[in-house]
Amino acid sequence: MTQATETPMVELKGVKKRFGNLEVLKGIDLKVDRGKIISIIGPSGSGKSTLLRSINYLEVIDEGSILLDGAQVNRPDLKGLAFERHINHIRQNMGMVFQHFNLFPHLSTLENVTLAPRKLKGVDARSARELGMDLLERVGLADKASAYPSSLSGGQKQRVAIARALAMRPKVMLFDEATSALDPELVEEVNQVMKRLAEEHMTMLIVTHEMGFARDVSDWAMFMDGGVVVEENTPDRLFTHPDQERTCNFLRKHLASQA
Amino acid sequence: MEFDFSPVITYFPTLLKGVGATLLIGLVVAIMSIIGGQIVAVISLYTRKAVNWPLRFFIWLFMTTPLLLQLYFLYFGLGQWILIPAIVVGVLGLGFHYMAYNADIFIATIKSVSNGQYEASRSLGFGHYATIFYIVIPQAFYRAVPQLGNNMIIMVKDISVLSAIGIAELVYMSQYAISVTFRPFEFYITIAVVYYLINVLMEAGQSWVERRAAIRK
Repeated sequence: MTQATETPMVELKGVKKRFGNLEVLKGIDLKVDRGKIISIIGPSGSGKSTLLRSINYLEVIDEGSILLDGAQVNRPDLKGLAFERHINHIRQNMGMVFQHFNLFPHLSTLENVTLAPRKLKGVDARSARELGMDLLERVGLADKASAYPSSLSGGQKQRVAIARALAMRPKVMLFDEATSALDPELVEEVNQVMKRLAEEHMTMLIVTHEMGFARDVSDWAMFMDGGVVVEENTPDRLFTHPDQERTCNFLRKHLASQA
Repeated sequence: MEFDFSPVITYFPTLLKGVGATLLIGLVVAIMSIIGGQIVAVISLYTRKAVNWPLRFFIWLFMTTPLLLQLYFLYFGLGQWILIPAIVVGVLGLGFHYMAYNADIFIATIKSVSNGQYEASRSLGFGHYATIFYIVIPQAFYRAVPQLGNNMIIMVKDISVLSAIGIAELVYMSQYAISVTFRPFEFYITIAVVYYLINVLMEAGQSWVERRAAIRK
């Protein structure tokens, strides 16, 4: 157990990513220990979403390496089907939550949650149902099990999306601006679910514009701009006494826009 | 002007046989063209050019030539060398014709499934093909329902074209009855009403299916 805690759950070393001539990640190093929660803030175009998507390999990085619990995510040595098999397996250990939920509209809420365990882990229908209902219970939507996504509010959709990601029992949860597309009054219900996950010591990486939430919930906060980590610190320190001018300006602008 | 519908009543069992044939052919062609259209669409979108080019040519061929010509070609044209039973030619010809139209719809609806859906599935650990199978195709199918329904309603009326190669569907049966009774006006009016009723029933079925599909979109 002690040895397990020494391996970081997520580790990035010198990660670089270009879109054409534009370098969006200019060598990112990052370590997330087991059970820790890291928030990444920064202006749009700073590369924070790309960073998160790279960890799930939805973006293919150009340089560097990404490790999940000691296992390398990017594997330049694997080609074609071998890489496909590798990445499918790696992704089963990561839960990803998207800004626009991306629930499967043709499946009921419960089916959204149980599809991956049933098809990928071969969990039988009954156990999958129990697992699904248990997860829907945890996000407060057990009564919506047979509803289809089209009948849910944005906040409910995102809570189902979180349950869907949890159904594979991931080692880490990645939140890509999970509340940015929600009406303000629906943000809190999603934040509550995320807070509960935090209390259960889920390892989490959160890209967010919710400064207050990031400050409350995270163990460590990073400010990104222009493809680099400008500054990182404990949330209390970063949000109240940032060392860097750019962090300071960003936070001031952000507060002004929210006032 | 006088109307005499009594021959229609006398020959109603004959017409009913035609209705039965039309509905049976319609059912087979619907199943064949919907499943086949889905397969053609998937192959033409997700395979190499060497595989999908012939399929695109097939779609193009069936969409740019008249159904009647296609049937004549398959029955009389190929008939120079090989005699295929008329019913087989009729079902296959109509099936391929509508398969091409349905494939065209499925290609559009498959493309309309957002990349976010694909990414969500991949992020759970599903592979490329599993994602297409479990996520993309079912969604594309639900989106295609309204247009598929329209196509199938048109198709049922096109079954009448099969009378040209001697298939005993509704129009053919009425032609036969007319040739015996010499009452074309009454018979044509009657089968027009029968087609109208089939249409009404199909539209009701279509809107029922559409309502069920709508909640899954």
